[in-house]
Amino acid sequence: MLPPPEPAALSPSPKPPFTLQGFRAGIVGARTLAPGVVMYGVAFGVMASTVGVSLLEAMALSGWVNAGGAQMAVLQAWSDPLPLLAVCLTVLTVNARYLLLGAALRPWFAGLPAWQSYPSLFVMGDANWALALREHAEGRDDAAFLLGSGTVLWFVWIGATAVGYIFGQALGDPRTFGIDFMLAAFFASMAIGLVRGTSDIAPLLTGMAAAIVIERTVPGPWYILGGALAGSLVGALRSSDAA
Amino acid sequence: MRPEIVQAILLLGIVSYACRASGFFLMQYVAATPRVKAWLRSIPVALTGAIVAPLGFNGGPPEWLGFAATAILMRLTANEFLSAIGAVAVVALSRALLS
Repeated sequence: MLPPPEPAALSPSPKPPFTLQGFRAGIVGARTLAPGVVMYGVAFGVMASTVGVSLLEAMALSGWVNAGGAQMAVLQAWSDPLPLLAVCLTVLTVNARYLLLGAALRPWFAGLPAWQSYPSLFVMGDANWALALREHAEGRDDAAFLLGSGTVLWFVWIGATAVGYIFGQALGDPRTFGIDFMLAAFFASMAIGLVRGTSDIAPLLTGMAAAIVIERTVPGPWYILGGALAGSLVGALRSSDAA
Repeated sequence: MRPEIVQAILLLGIVSYACRASGFFLMQYVAATPRVKAWLRSIPVALTGAIVAPLGFNGGPPEWLGFAATAILMRLTANEFLSAIGAVAVVALSRALLS
């Protein structure tokens, strides 16, 4: 006979270790992610140089916003004057998935003091979050892993942005080399990669159809938010149908 | 850096960080229902599709070939970065040949 399970919800959260050793393990673990971050950062820098963002502004975006997908989407909407409300809502929409990433960290990070958990969340990205949760699943529960991996990738991200920006200006007209298509191709490949089962197809197609309609009827980048809302709500409704 | 752009970047960073922190913060109060979880889980695929669809709809043959190359390369490599690079090469080539 197995002993009865502990009442997990009622037991106080234990404090996980948060050490320099875990931070270092994160830096080492991030090595496998660095090439991807370099390419993405270079792509962002190249894109930024084509829409009238200055080098310092591009680096500030990467350092302070620190979210590739959101930054790419902001560039899509970049114009003079900047549509401030629209780009803020774009960042909110693109980064809405971080709600789930952060929520998933709760059981592991709940015991940490705020000065350790909240700075870690600043450098949380999709890739190092997944890496950290895999570490946790394998029994290595040093919570500084996320901060270590995120911090090194943050420096890589800013540096790659600068390299891409300078290299992009040297390229000349990006249309000749298809560089302007980089963003479209990246999001297309992301969309394809995100379809993990048949339940993802209805949200994808609804989002695409709604975006095309909104883009042709409403000026500005609202089609991104509108398409994402329409598609994701279909995903929620279909899920409750199945349940 | 232009002052209005600095203000915009500051604001965008605060919004970005709020997304990161609020999910973790709110989970101490909220038990996510299956429907809420399904909604949040559907956002990335709906959003990336929404960004791409008008670009394809408004594009021409080079862009359509680029998207086809993206889909084929994703099927072959399952790597977003390789697929995007390959698609850019296809678009550059088809623009040179078709224009």
